[in-house]
Amino acid sequence: MNKYWRSIEELNDSSKLKQEELTNEIANKKALNDPESIETFASTRRDFLKVFGFSVAGAAVVASCKKPVEKAIPYLVRPEEIIPGQCNYYASSYFEENEYCGVLVKVRDGRPIKIEGNEQSSLTKGGTSARVQASVMSLYDLARYKEPLATGEKITWEKVNNEIPQKLEEIAQADGKIVLLTSTVISPTYRQVITELQERFQGLDWIQYDAVSSSGMLEANDRSFGKAAIPTYHFDKAKVIVSFGADFLGTWISPVEFTKQYSSRRNPDLKEQMSRHYQVESMMTLTGSNADERVVIKSSDEGIVLLNLYNEIAKQLGGTTYAVDQSSTDLSFIVRDLLLSKGESLVVCGSNNPDHQVIVNAINSMLGNYGATIDMISTNRVKQGDDRKMSQFVEDLLNGKVDALLAVDVNPVYNYPQGEAIKDAIEKLKLSVAFAKEKQETAEACKYILPLPHYLESWGDTEPTDGKFSLIQPTIHPLFNSRPVQEVFLAWCGKTGNYRDVIKFYWEANVFPKQTDNTEFTSWWNTVLQRGVFDEISVPEEQPIIDVTSLKATTTRIKSVSKTQGDVEVVVYEMNGKGNGAMANNPWSMEMPDSVSKVSWDNFAAISPRKAIELGVDNEDMVALGDLELPVFIQPGQEENTIAVALGFGRSVSGKVAEGAGFNVYPFINVVEGRRMYQAFSTVKKLNKTYPLAMTQTHHSMEGREIVREAVLEEYSRKANAGNESHERHEKHHVTLYDEPEFPAHQWGLAIDLNKCTGCGNCTIACQAENNVAVIGKEQVRNRRIMHWIRIDRYYSENPENPKTYHQPVMCQHCDNAPCENVCPVSATMHSNEGLNQMVYNRCVGTRYCINNCPYKVRRFNWFKYANNEKFDFNVNNDLGKMVLNPDVTVRSRGVVEKCSLCVQRIQEKKLEAKLENRQLNDGEIQPACMQTCPADAIVFGDLKDPESRISKLFEHPRNYHLIEELHTLPSVGYLTKIRNPHKG
Amino acid sequence: MGQIRGICRIVHSIILLVLLVDFSVVAAENPVDNDHQTQKKEVIKDGKRLFMGLLPFDRKHESCVSCHHVVAIDTFSWYPSALEIANLYHAKADKDLEKVLMEPMGNKMSEVHQEYQFKEEDVKAIKTYLDSLVVDNGVEPKPSVNNLFLFLFLGILITLSLVDLIFTRRIKYRIIPVIVLLACGGYQAKMLMFEAKALGRSKDYAPDQPIKFSHKVHAGENQIDCKYCHNTVDKSRSAGIPSVNLCLNCHSLVREGSNSGQFEINKIHQAVENGQSVEWIRIHKLPDHAYFNHAQHVGVAKLDCNKCHGEVEKMHVLKQESDMSMGWCVNCHRETHVNMGENKYYSSYKEQHEAYARGDKNAFTADELGSNDCMRCHY
Repeated sequence: MNKYWRSIEELNDSSKLKQEELTNEIANKKALNDPESIETFASTRRDFLKVFGFSVAGAAVVASCKKPVEKAIPYLVRPEEIIPGQCNYYASSYFEENEYCGVLVKVRDGRPIKIEGNEQSSLTKGGTSARVQASVMSLYDLARYKEPLATGEKITWEKVNNEIPQKLEEIAQADGKIVLLTSTVISPTYRQVITELQERFQGLDWIQYDAVSSSGMLEANDRSFGKAAIPTYHFDKAKVIVSFGADFLGTWISPVEFTKQYSSRRNPDLKEQMSRHYQVESMMTLTGSNADERVVIKSSDEGIVLLNLYNEIAKQLGGTTYAVDQSSTDLSFIVRDLLLSKGESLVVCGSNNPDHQVIVNAINSMLGNYGATIDMISTNRVKQGDDRKMSQFVEDLLNGKVDALLAVDVNPVYNYPQGEAIKDAIEKLKLSVAFAKEKQETAEACKYILPLPHYLESWGDTEPTDGKFSLIQPTIHPLFNSRPVQEVFLAWCGKTGNYRDVIKFYWEANVFPKQTDNTEFTSWWNTVLQRGVFDEISVPEEQPIIDVTSLKATTTRIKSVSKTQGDVEVVVYEMNGKGNGAMANNPWSMEMPDSVSKVSWDNFAAISPRKAIELGVDNEDMVALGDLELPVFIQPGQEENTIAVALGFGRSVSGKVAEGAGFNVYPFINVVEGRRMYQAFSTVKKLNKTYPLAMTQTHHSMEGREIVREAVLEEYSRKANAGNESHERHEKHHVTLYDEPEFPAHQWGLAIDLNKCTGCGNCTIACQAENNVAVIGKEQVRNRRIMHWIRIDRYYSENPENPKTYHQPVMCQHCDNAPCENVCPVSATMHSNEGLNQMVYNRCVGTRYCINNCPYKVRRFNWFKYANNEKFDFNVNNDLGKMVLNPDVTVRSRGVVEKCSLCVQRIQEKKLEAKLENRQLNDGEIQPACMQTCPADAIVFGDLKDPESRISKLFEHPRNYHLIEELHTLPSVGYLTKIRNPHKG
Repeated sequence: MGQIRGICRIVHSIILLVLLVDFSVVAAENPVDNDHQTQKKEVIKDGKRLFMGLLPFDRKHESCVSCHHVVAIDTFSWYPSALEIANLYHAKADKDLEKVLMEPMGNKMSEVHQEYQFKEEDVKAIKTYLDSLVVDNGVEPKPSVNNLFLFLFLGILITLSLVDLIFTRRIKYRIIPVIVLLACGGYQAKMLMFEAKALGRSKDYAPDQPIKFSHKVHAGENQIDCKYCHNTVDKSRSAGIPSVNLCLNCHSLVREGSNSGQFEINKIHQAVENGQSVEWIRIHKLPDHAYFNHAQHVGVAKLDCNKCHGEVEKMHVLKQESDMSMGWCVNCHRETHVNMGENKYYSSYKEQHEAYARGDKNAFTADELGSNDCMRCHY
């Protein structure tokens, strides 16, 4: 069996680690019994008085306690669709930080409280990402701009709409330069509005700027196909996937869409058709951790490796080869596989270097993937920012050639490498206007700050992929005095009216004609609004032909990098739950442990185990990376001389959550010939300092038992229970003296397919939003008190320099023979007649016996009162933030234990619905929060009493096993053995 | 010795506390006068006398206060209180009040205000008096001696008996302080226990509502179905307090009630005109950790509203009929039979359903199907 380990310390010397843990524990306990600290508790006469007075007063208050008078205020006129106590779902679209997702917004009594995936969307198909889940919290953020401001003073919108166009007019007439800086615009109506604005103010230059750009791909496709666009990918059609550093399951282009596609092909019952995934990368990404085979290379070697791969394929297929240095890595097994699955393979690359992308295009073209797994006709629009335009603008700005700047929802002061210089330049501008949702660096440097509505408050439309339209509709009246930027722009053009009508008008003229089924616009519009999405039926077109000369010019630039440029390579990346930093003030997002490192609240310098030994550093030691000091986190699977640091932290101007969390590493981005490169060379030096990191990695040790079961596809196709042989043995040994529990109607169960789960962490945040799970802050996370009801354990095995990685979501297992239930002295945790392990907060007295007796360590204790507590100044400490709470779930108080309830509120809701409709429950009708939005479809919930249900069939599956089943706890949660598909031979 | 001094200090501090509270009450009532205010005070005084009937304006009729009470009263009255009238006419002119008094509108008011004759200055004085009520922020209900004082008093007795028992020893028969101690302690314990048990419960709670809405008139005399107004009761968690526009379904025509005349019904129209909904006082409220769904009980189990809410159709003032304690819920679940034949959902309970179909066991209670499981209500 493989050796599984949780951290480098454990791998190196597990007995030492245990010894250290024990020593720490003893020291902590000693501190509690410290005689000095006890002395201070010796009571004095005054203390006696205090206590006496207190008890008298307390008792008296209890004796005369009266309920406060509460009011019940009905609607003056109840809107037809609103039933108090019932929730409504509205279809909408999420597009922030270049990530698109079709969503349903759950609105309860007028407040959006939860985001679900929209199953109607042909792109995201009901999946969401952790960021999408967390976005509802940003609506209720105290750091949002509440009023339009001019140099810090409140002004009215009327004044804004008078003053600014006047100034713009003046600048335009003096032939001054006006720049409109936006992030990528995927809304067709918004584009039209911008065109109108450009017509109104001659010489207005529109630049799209993405904090993390894919400009290299746009440029490469322009060179190869004459079309500066990102193609759409079909991972579901690919039998062999080769990714060069593209984190397509985490952050690359459209992760939710790709995860859906990818996981559909990760089913070992497809036998030979199950996809094989190779990842060639320099740092451990989420995607890399899911790969069947992972190859570690230096990011500076990527070009050479790619060109070598190209040459080898070209040799086999009779194409032109190009002279290049010898690659450091042998990828012949990948070449073999790719050649075997021509037209069914997919090579992707995450680099922003157009030369690398051109080679990838050439490889895909040779393999006949265009038209099969890649579509260059229907292109993806989520990243349109052109690096060279942006860097030209920055140069102009710094040289004083720009007169006016309109910055819409962008933050270059924070997320452009020359941020500080940009800030100074903006402050000197004649006119600077920032449209921003919440407090941010660029807006604070501008003269005018105009609040933008949150996407849940606004109208909008999107076209993330050619021909796939969707709508954004408001689900709450704007909380603050904000206005959509489009409405403001139209007002500057002298037009009045609201943006919805503009969208409707645009759709009537431009989108409505794209279909023929409906002839009446209003009824069609209402249907689309209800569904949220509209797909144009596309006519198949011939894929463009690749321009081979583009490759030739490229190959001369692919050279090995000389060693003199620095000791180490620094790679900056986005964490999948955190993004580029725009959502940094979101406490859910901030506290979510990173999918790979399991660190929350900070970014860090991820260093390979070998490099750490070489530098003599350990976790939490500080190193100087060039000028920047960063804490070390030892990350297995990291290339030896590569240090990876996440972007999106170290916000200097933001809300309370973001400020002071982590370090800003945007300055590491290199601007080479106007293109932003996310790699740099630097020096590394150990510092004699430490910095605490909130690591959740060593939480909840499973102590090396058979927790993750795995096999390879070859074994599995020979033997159905490969890797899971012990399950049968354990099943046979189930003997009990006690009565078996009886379930008259339902027995709820959950099955998790470890093959599909990518470990993205969406379920953690979905659960947090659904179940009012508290945010507790960095210090408490460090104290191992994180409250998440569903955690994703990440295990490594084998070689620490390039380990195999396992992701395993663990929540309450709802054991039928639950160890927690029989130790509770007050019966606060009991078994229901539907197989649920019930946790009753109002009975719990906080002995924590159950926590100690739970073999899965899934029970959470409220060490503090996390609501209405200044010490935990997150969303539940203010009235605005509390609006996100789910009114169907109790907010737990101090001193009680909590844990996963399998979303019992949803079970009850659907049961009631069935009763009211006089029918039986349908299989798949009840969906816990984690299952509903899982982008990988890895979680299945259902009734084990129904032999026809999906869950019953999965429980019968030979891959099914239970966690630590040898303990005879009889869990209602099953796991399906992980089956890898490595190459043969 | 130190201990004695300590206990003496306690007694001192308690006395001091009581004195302090008294003093602060006196201090708060000390107004600053000037000429204008003195004059106004005179007018208010006259108005008050008129209102109270001390200066009779008209021997034939009863004084204002006989119907429009000034102090909070325990009994229910259909007539608007002085404060309510004051609030309504505060922003209006004296003439308006005079007009209403001299030419009463509506049957009810015409009947009770028949042939009232007022002098102009009398109306003015009454109006000024009424305005003063508004300025003074209304009439506070009299404070009653509540359990707090009793509890504290018992506490003092306990302290004193302890002091005597251990230190001063003035009482000859040692048994007396012991008895006092035990009795007081026992009574305190009893108070604590009962109050703690009733904590958060509010059986018989029947607060005055902003509109004297009578369920007896609507559901009893006029036989309006509960679900006409509480129309989400069979489909939602909340039964739904009717929105104001629903009242107007009838009250756009029914402008005068048989009991309260136009005064109360006018409040609905005022609410609509002001765009501000009626702020009812909530009576039935479960604690936050208990989940209750009306749809399950009314929509599925087809329970009668009276089962929990009592004979609402006989209540002028709505009160909470049951204590809504957990024991009350659980007992009802134990006694109430589920009609398994009627709802197809219950065929999921295979064994029970078969038994039911065979007629082996005619009835299963809600409890037997699991309705008393913790997580049916607590999550």
